[in-house]
Amino acid sequence: MFKPLLTSLAVAVGSLAVAGSALADYPERNIQGTIQWGAGGATDNVARSLTPHVEEILDTTIVLTNRPGGTGVIGMNHVMRQRADGYNLLYGAENPQLYPLMGLADFTYDDMHAVNIIGQGLVVIAAHPNSPFDTFAELMEYARENPGELRMGGTGAGGLPSTVHAMINAVDELDVRDVTFGGDGPGVTALLGEHIDFMPLSLSAVAEQIRGGRLKGLAVLTSEELESLPGVPPITQALPDIEAFLPWGPFWGVFVHQDTPDDIKSTLEDAYEQAVAGDEFQEFLTNFGGATLNLSGDEAQAYLDNWQSVTAWSMHEAEAETVKVSPEELGIPRP
Amino acid sequence: MSDTFSFLLMAWLDPGLLSLTALGVLAGIYIGAIPGLSVTMAVSILISFTFSWDINNALALMVGIYVGGVYGGSRTAILLNIPGAPSAVVTAFDGYPLAQRGEAGRAIGLSTVMSVIGGFIGVAVLAGTAPYLSDLALQFAPRDYFLIAIMGLLLVSTLSGKSLARGIFSVALGSTIGLVGMDMVTAQPRLTMGSMELLGGIHYVVVMIGLFGVAEAFYQLHNMAKVPVKQNVDKIIPPLNMVLKFLPLSIRTSIIGVVVGALPGTGGDIASLFAYDHAKRTVKNPSSPFGEGAYEGLVAPETANNAAVGGAYVPMLTLGMPGDAVTAVIIGALVIHGLNPGPMLMIETPHIFWFTVGNLALANIFLLIFGMTGIKVFSKVVEIPKAILIPLILVLCVVGTYSINSNMMEVYWMLGFGILGYWLKVYGFQMGPIILGVILGPLLDETYRQAMSSVGDSSSDFLLALVANPLSLALTTVITLVLLGNTPLKGWIMARFARN
Repeated sequence: MFKPLLTSLAVAVGSLAVAGSALADYPERNIQGTIQWGAGGATDNVARSLTPHVEEILDTTIVLTNRPGGTGVIGMNHVMRQRADGYNLLYGAENPQLYPLMGLADFTYDDMHAVNIIGQGLVVIAAHPNSPFDTFAELMEYARENPGELRMGGTGAGGLPSTVHAMINAVDELDVRDVTFGGDGPGVTALLGEHIDFMPLSLSAVAEQIRGGRLKGLAVLTSEELESLPGVPPITQALPDIEAFLPWGPFWGVFVHQDTPDDIKSTLEDAYEQAVAGDEFQEFLTNFGGATLNLSGDEAQAYLDNWQSVTAWSMHEAEAETVKVSPEELGIPRP
Repeated sequence: MSDTFSFLLMAWLDPGLLSLTALGVLAGIYIGAIPGLSVTMAVSILISFTFSWDINNALALMVGIYVGGVYGGSRTAILLNIPGAPSAVVTAFDGYPLAQRGEAGRAIGLSTVMSVIGGFIGVAVLAGTAPYLSDLALQFAPRDYFLIAIMGLLLVSTLSGKSLARGIFSVALGSTIGLVGMDMVTAQPRLTMGSMELLGGIHYVVVMIGLFGVAEAFYQLHNMAKVPVKQNVDKIIPPLNMVLKFLPLSIRTSIIGVVVGALPGTGGDIASLFAYDHAKRTVKNPSSPFGEGAYEGLVAPETANNAAVGGAYVPMLTLGMPGDAVTAVIIGALVIHGLNPGPMLMIETPHIFWFTVGNLALANIFLLIFGMTGIKVFSKVVEIPKAILIPLILVLCVVGTYSINSNMMEVYWMLGFGILGYWLKVYGFQMGPIILGVILGPLLDETYRQAMSSVGDSSSDFLLALVANPLSLALTTVITLVLLGNTPLKGWIMARFARN
């Protein structure tokens, strides 16, 4: 009578203990971290400076690998195809939120779980110090009178400059020659040599050039002047209507497979939250020209949804030729 | 001034920095020698590894690996006809025939000395002219890079061997391979046939390992019965008169290397191609015909690719802009260590500049020491029976390819290129022009479109710009002269002058 009951009790307790130990054990081996952009880029820098702090908290090693290509499609696709056991992390930037819109892939961050949205980069529109324009308003005025004459540096469809250009075109009209470079670096180099007239760039890519007097800022993509860039007017001064899209910027985050067990998700979320909030990383991020977000769970999802809706609709309204599908068809709500 | 000296000598006098530099060079030689394991990869792994270190220690190790790695690529190029890195592709042209003649030891010894000479010239130019050279590099507009790419295409005549038609076909094939992937401007997939894996394009090292490594291994199966050449390992250190004889050439090719290396859009791979071409055009009586084991054909690329290291540091240290992929990663390391790589770096933290200069010089000394070690053992690799060597090469190719992006798909591609390369070899095609196309195709595509959109897509304005700017005019003139020099017109003009 008692015996079967005891047995089943023992089994139950035993399995609980097993489950408990599995829980306590994560991570019991190295974790693989995939960076969806190349070595030396902004996403790479953020991932490599944050990870050692997470390793300390989780007491494990996170092996970082760059898997660049196809604006991050390849790296993300790789992580999504791995087992949902929490041993494969994706370090990504904002690009996947636009994949379906641009016809690059049929997945977005909605198909993964956001462990942490680490931070957001600030955007500045930069020009050479010899440029006749001191503010973006002056540049807009010139471009209105001389359409199709100024040369704007870009990084291709879906890149930051093309998105900022789309936002500007959604509220006003800026007709320029679009000169495409392989990334921020080559674009900044061309700007330094005056081979292009201006370029919207992430602050992390140009802060030092502006500080050193090699470039100047025409506007920052915020509604208020930045403490770190005194004297550079907010873009709302030239284009008040653009405020509807702000705050906007490229962001960096850490993601795992959607089907990862909840307890592992929360272990990771706690570790990353603590690491991002740490003094050392905060100092890095400020120095890097980024603003902390440190979002997880519902807050992270809300941020991702809002970013996607603002960007997709501004690109759609500016009739950017890269938009393959209307955001409406993809179920992206209007901002 | 005394500060400058103390920064310069920092790495020489501190035992910790000294040994880290030495360790870096030694590790770099072996990383560089394995196709697929790249310096860029090693340096990015080091960033996480050296996160909590002092910045000088981290930089010393990275400088060592960089210098050792660029040199290391030549070892497998000479011994097995498999370049360890794209900048060593050219080294194989004459290095491998030398090894086949039993002179592998001599070839490695010579390439070591020449790499060190190139390295020192690179450091000297970096130390003496960095701010001026970086200003010059900034003058290069997209149209000038386009012209450089055109000049590169003209190298096909140097690289084709016997049949120019086959060479031109190979360059076209290579450029097409180089264009696979997402279009840079419109983000549209090109030649990907709907495959998501191909969106990122085909990595040129994948093509290189396939064409040189696997194709070579298959091709060797033809002469399974041939007894490997006995290597002469007595004459490893090149005699002084030989080094002196090549000194003028090595200085010229080093300068080509350092300038091409300093341009942010081009690196050691293109520098070594131009240097080889320069040697072939200017050296009238090489020790053997080029392509059949000319020492000059080894001197030119080996000096140029090591001089390009010093060149790549020029825009990095003066402007915070990378000169190539490795310096891009080192900039990332500086950022993570809380420094601000940018135009203020030299003003606010001058010690980084002088420390790097001193450290590069030190790394070249270690290169001379370590480069001369292990040659006897390495040369014996050529004597390994084919039945053992060929499977080893295949394993090395697979491991090397997988380690580029940890992607199995790229291993299949590499094997595919190996089979393709084998058939091309059987029908007398050269591998060099294909790699030339893979490297130059995307550069041509990118810079042509940049140059065109800069002038509002007007062809007449584009052509005008090619002659309106002094720098572009100089490049256009060189291209025109090279082209005319290869036509019957040259003989006609020469004849006219001779008659007068």
